Amino acid sequence: MNNFSILFRKEWRENVRNFKILWIPLVFILFGISEPLTYYYLPQILNAVGNVPSDMVFQLPEYTPDQIIMSTIGQYQFIGMLIVAFGFAGIIARERKNGTATMLYVRPISYTGYVFSKLAIMGILIIGSACIGLLANVYYTNVLYGAVDAVAFIGFLGTYSIWLLFAICVVICSSAAFSTGIASVVSILLLVVVQLVDSLLGTYWTISPWKLPMYAGQILNGNLDKTPFFWSLTVTVVVVVLLVVLAVYLAKRNVSKAKI
Amino acid sequence: MKTLLHVHGLTKEYGKEKALDQVTFSLNKNTATALIGPNGAGKTTALSMLAGLLKQTSGTVVIGADLKGDIRREIGFLPQYPQFYSWLTALEFTEMVAKLSGLDGKNAKSQAERTLDFVGLTDAKNKKTGTFSGGMKQRLGLAQAIVHKPGLLLLDEPVSALDPMGRREIMNLLKELQEHTTILYSTHILNDAEEMTDQLLFLRKGQLVEQGSLREVRDKYANPLFKILFVNTEEAAKFVEMSPWPARQENEVVLIHLEENKPGMNEVLQVLAKSNLQLSKVERASATLEEIFLQVVNKHE
Repeated sequence: MNNFSILFRKEWRENVRNFKILWIPLVFILFGISEPLTYYYLPQILNAVGNVPSDMVFQLPEYTPDQIIMSTIGQYQFIGMLIVAFGFAGIIARERKNGTATMLYVRPISYTGYVFSKLAIMGILIIGSACIGLLANVYYTNVLYGAVDAVAFIGFLGTYSIWLLFAICVVICSSAAFSTGIASVVSILLLVVVQLVDSLLGTYWTISPWKLPMYAGQILNGNLDKTPFFWSLTVTVVVVVLLVVLAVYLAKRNVSKAKI
Repeated sequence: MKTLLHVHGLTKEYGKEKALDQVTFSLNKNTATALIGPNGAGKTTALSMLAGLLKQTSGTVVIGADLKGDIRREIGFLPQYPQFYSWLTALEFTEMVAKLSGLDGKNAKSQAERTLDFVGLTDAKNKKTGTFSGGMKQRLGLAQAIVHKPGLLLLDEPVSALDPMGRREIMNLLKELQEHTTILYSTHILNDAEEMTDQLLFLRKGQLVEQGSLREVRDKYANPLFKILFVNTEEAAKFVEMSPWPARQENEVVLIHLEENKPGMNEVLQVLAKSNLQLSKVERASATLEEIFLQVVNKHE
C-alpha cells in the first residue's frame, strides 16, 4: 500500500486535466435536477410547446417525493452505469495497452496500492458525483413535492453508494482482467443487462447486489423488508472484497501483457 | 572483476515458439554489454525478463551480492518506445517514478530536476510530455530509467530512434553513466556497440550464438585481407593470374585473404612492384563489426 498516495496523485491529476472531474458531476447533477423539474412543470411545458388542443385534459399522476427520487435513480441506473462502464473500462487495460504502465510495473510498486489508487479515484468521481446529483435532486424535490425524511435519505444514499462501489469494483476487475473493449462489454453485461434480468425474473429471489437500489428506495418510502436487505448488503460487501482481491491478483498477473 | 548478475539457461517459450533458448551469460560490475541481433532475435524478450516484466519459462537469474533487497529498486529500464502519461509534465513524471522507486519526497524532486538537467531537458521539464518529440521522449525515457541511480541499467535500443546528433549525445551520457553503473543494452546499430562495449552478446533466433569482448570477437572473425585497387579491370585480371596467393577479383579490386598473418605487406608490395601493373591503392583491411555480425549470423544459418 506504500505507493498508494503517489499513484493516487497521478490518477487525480489525470482526471483533473482531462476534465472528468468536471463533466461527470455535471451529468449527474443534470439528471438529478431534470427529474423533479420536468415532472413538476410538465403541464406548463406541454401547454407552451406541445401544440396540444386546448380542450384536451391530462390526468397526470400525483407523485410523492420518494417516487421522484427513485425515478432519478432509474436514470442513474442506466446512464450512470454507461458512464461508469465506458468511461472507466480502460482504467487499467488502457495503460497496459499503450505502454505507459510499463514504467510503473518495472518499479517496486505494490499492486494493492495500484488497484486502490484506481478504486479511490473512481469512488470519488462516481460516488461523489452521484451524491451531489442526488442532493441537488432532493433539494428540488423538497421545494416542489414536499419534505423528505433526512434519516431515511441518508440511509438511502448510503445503500445506493454501496451499489455504486460494487459497480466500480466490477469495472476495475474487468479492466484488470481484459482489454479495454472486452472490459467495457463485460461491465455493461454485469451492470446493465444483469440488472434488467434481475428486475424481470427477480421475483424468484430476494438477495442480490442488483436489488440494492430497490432496497434503497424502500428505505426512502419506509417499507423496507429488513432481512433480505441486510443479506443483500452482506453479499454485496463480500463480493466487493472478492472483486478487489481478484483485481489485485489479475493486475499483477497481466503485467506481462503490458506493451513493452 | 565482480559479477553483478549471472543468467543461466534463460528460456522463454510462447507455445511451441522459443523466443529465447538457453541463454547463459554474466554481467560484470560497471561494464557495458551490447546485445546485438537482427529483429526478432529475442533482445527485447531477454531485457524484459531481466526487468521482471516477463516470467521465464525456465532458467535462472542470479543476482550478485551487490544488489540487495527488492531487486526492482536496483533496475532502471528503458523500453524501446517509451510511452508517457501525456497529461503529466516531464518533471511531475520523473518525480513520481523516483518516489515509486523508493526515493523520499524531497530527494525525489531534486533528483528528478538533476536528472532532467543531465539528459538535456532543462527547458522542457515543465512541459506536458504529450507535446514531446521522439528525441525528447527518448531522453525522458533515459531520465526515468536513471533517476533512482540503479545499479543495473537495461536499455532496449536506446539510440535507434534518434538522429545522428541525438545519438551522439545519448551515447556520451551513457558513457558517463557507465563509470558507476552496469549497462546492458540492445542495439542493431553496430557503430554504437563498437563505441561502448566491454562484452558483446550475439543473439540469433533466441540463441546466444557468440559472445566475448570486442577484441576477442574481432580476433575470431576479423578475417584480415589486402585490398588492391587497380586503375582498370584488365590490370586487376592480370594480377589475379600471376598472384602467388589465392586472389579474388571484384571489378578493379583484388582481394587477398591473410592466412596466419601471411603474406605480409612488404611481400605483397614486392610482387606488385615487379609486376609493373598500374595500381592506385593498396590497403590491409579487417572486417567491420557489421561484417562480423553478418558472418556470425550466417554461420549459424
